[in-house]
Amino acid sequence: MKAPALHTIGKLALATDVTSDAIRYYEKEGLLTPITKTGAGYRLYNEDAVRRLRFIKQAQHCGFSLAEIRELLTLKNSDAACCKDVRSVAIDKKLQLAHKIKALQIMSQALTELITICNDEARPLDECPILAALETSMADKRKKGTSHD
Amino acid sequence: MIKVEVFSSPGCGKCTQAKMVLKAIAEEIGQDKITWRDVNILEEMDYAVELGVMSSPAIAIDGKLIFSSLPSAAKLRAALDKQLAHTP
Repeated sequence: MKAPALHTIGKLALATDVTSDAIRYYEKEGLLTPITKTGAGYRLYNEDAVRRLRFIKQAQHCGFSLAEIRELLTLKNSDAACCKDVRSVAIDKKLQLAHKIKALQIMSQALTELITICNDEARPLDECPILAALETSMADKRKKGTSHD
Repeated sequence: MIKVEVFSSPGCGKCTQAKMVLKAIAEEIGQDKITWRDVNILEEMDYAVELGVMSSPAIAIDGKLIFSSLPSAAKLRAALDKQLAHTP
């Protein structure tokens, strides 16, 4: 029977479109381990590593941090866990993303207001209403901060 | 009348049992004093975000996030008593 093919870090990087540095970092973070090393100390990986790296990449596309991916991988390998545990992690992630989207919308709205007040692009820089508004709001914040002291 | 809202998702096993216990506490105080609403976080995510819910399950009382996880029966009871004392 043919022995399963092993990949060097370079080949694994190529197969999964992940850099060798990232693979080493995932190893440092405990997300991936080489199955063995050559006599010269080079890391060797099997097909499980390919699958695991694809899993990590896909989870990152869904917004999961490495810590959360570690949690998902732990759930994946746990006999006690089931699909609803994973679903619960996904729902919490979606909730966090919804919070971020809301924060970004507020930032975008603030920029819209600033852009609206700048109705004359030819004005000199020292009369730029956007810069003035930013300075005023910063001064207001400082004042508020002092009044709380 | 105070409003208790429990944010969770359908199929959340750990929530179902605990929610029943907590709901019983609210009912004990009196249904004329407390309204209880189960909020499906997936259907009302915008509302959950508005209240600051960062993970589920969570409990809001009168539109304010009070517990970011399911509390013990005693803690919920104390929070409800406190809110009732402030409600005219």
